[in-house]
Amino acid sequence: MLDRIYPYVVRIAAVLFALMFLIPIFWMLALSLTPERGSLFSGGFNVSFDNYVTVLNRAPIFGWMGNSLMVSIATTALVLLLASMAAYSFSRIRFPGSKVLFVLFLSAMMIPGEATLIPLYLLMRDSGLLGTRTSLILPALAGPMGIFILKQFFDGLPKDLEEAARIDGAGFFKIWYRIFLPLSRPALAALGIFTFIGSWNDYVWPLISISDKAYMTITLGLPMFQSSYNQEYALPMTANALAAIPVLIVFLIFQKQIIKGIAFTGGKEM
Amino acid sequence: MASKTLTEGGSGSASASSRTPRKSALHRQGWVTGVMMVLPYTIFFLLFSLIPILYGFGVSFYDWSLLGDKTFIGFENYANLLQDEEFRTNLLNTVLFTVVSVPLIAGFGLLLAVLVNGIRKGQAFLRISFFMPYVLSVSVISSIWVIFLQPYTGLFNRILRGIGLIHSEIFWLSDSTLAWVSIIMATVWWTIGFVFVLFLAGLQDIPESFYEAANLEGANRWQTFRYITFPSLSRVTVLVVVLQTIASFKIFGQSKLITGGGPAGATKTVVFSIYENGFQTFQMGYASAIAFVLMLVILVISLLQTMLLRKLGE
Repeated sequence: MLDRIYPYVVRIAAVLFALMFLIPIFWMLALSLTPERGSLFSGGFNVSFDNYVTVLNRAPIFGWMGNSLMVSIATTALVLLLASMAAYSFSRIRFPGSKVLFVLFLSAMMIPGEATLIPLYLLMRDSGLLGTRTSLILPALAGPMGIFILKQFFDGLPKDLEEAARIDGAGFFKIWYRIFLPLSRPALAALGIFTFIGSWNDYVWPLISISDKAYMTITLGLPMFQSSYNQEYALPMTANALAAIPVLIVFLIFQKQIIKGIAFTGGKEM
Repeated sequence: MASKTLTEGGSGSASASSRTPRKSALHRQGWVTGVMMVLPYTIFFLLFSLIPILYGFGVSFYDWSLLGDKTFIGFENYANLLQDEEFRTNLLNTVLFTVVSVPLIAGFGLLLAVLVNGIRKGQAFLRISFFMPYVLSVSVISSIWVIFLQPYTGLFNRILRGIGLIHSEIFWLSDSTLAWVSIIMATVWWTIGFVFVLFLAGLQDIPESFYEAANLEGANRWQTFRYITFPSLSRVTVLVVVLQTIASFKIFGQSKLITGGGPAGATKTVVFSIYENGFQTFQMGYASAIAFVLMLVILVISLLQTMLLRKLGE
């Protein structure tokens, strides 16, 4: 009996859970399309984009998203470059002291970014970088996770290909660039996704570093804009929707790669 | 330059001596390249990780104001921490949040993964639904939940009323316990996708033959889960628990943005303490001491993880 109904129980439970996750997002979209004091619950659902127009007039949402994009893309590109070079060196070249250095980097993985907020603030202030978009990129480049993930991946690549290239006279740098980078596209993509999401979502460091509205990221600017609304929900919710929609569209297009990438990086992070 | 001395200093290495001269020359050239390729990252590591850590440790021994007036006070900041009622409360809040949210997220994430793993048709839809909130930023999810939980106008109370779970409005964010419940609900909703994906990948790595063997032995569904599935997931489980524990200890965004630390400071956390002491009352030294306590706690958790993993590997 139980065995017979089990598959149905599983399916019903799964759908109910899926609704739990989707309802707040759909509600966000619904509220944003409903005029304030509107009719969402009083029957008759008339769609209006007025809220979107109002929010875009009152807050530089696109500017903030541009800042976020700039910071996240620069961070991701630089992390991929720095980490893949270092990981290749640790995996294939090895120089005296390289093992010690690798262990030093590895142990830094245990140090939470939140622990260095104060010294970073002081250092950035004294070097005049505080409040700039550059200040949001630099600290993220010191994270060692990428090296660790890519080294594991490089260690698993077969040696035959590079041996052949080496006989043909290719140097280490060329082998990294011509053979390792193309071969590790899945690992690079996974690390890139992970880094991008982390950078886009960063809240505490931008909160401390950025005070000029023009340089804010969307993650920082959004709550600032919303905090001026009290007891009014359509406009704050519309701002949420504006911030969420591009991210959700990108996610829906690349969901397979993104979920795989997260599983890959998450699984390697040990 | 450092790279040059390193190359010359290591010329007697055993691996190079047995090779032909041509190969050994390549090897030497390799060291230079090797160092050059690690160098760029190392510079960033020094500037934005190692030096800040040491600097922060130094600052924690000073009475250090924002404008740079500083007096060396030894361990006084750390001694004051022990007396600080508010810090103790925030630390306790953080520990409680961690103790409640980690098993909840790990358990629920595992449940979702097991459910989805057993479903072929519509699996993609379920995966997308569970993972979707994870890609949103902390600002978006916090604001969604604040509005979702509003009494009278919010959808959450309406749903609970609709299915008959409550009969009067609940003021989620005005009561200290309910405010924590709200933060936990929002956090579970936001981050479970990550845990779910890790467990699902772990489940799909379990060889079919394990289940066939269990089937032959006549194991029922629960026994199969208890003796086959769960033990096979031990590495993933440790990973999830450790990652979640560390992430929970660092909670800040949700408490800042959903409750503002309120009501009456009831939902402030350790990172909240760093933020307030460092950037609102500008006691840099004191805030650094708190940061070091946080780092120590997380280091201990990470070391315990390493030990646990080693034990599992045996």
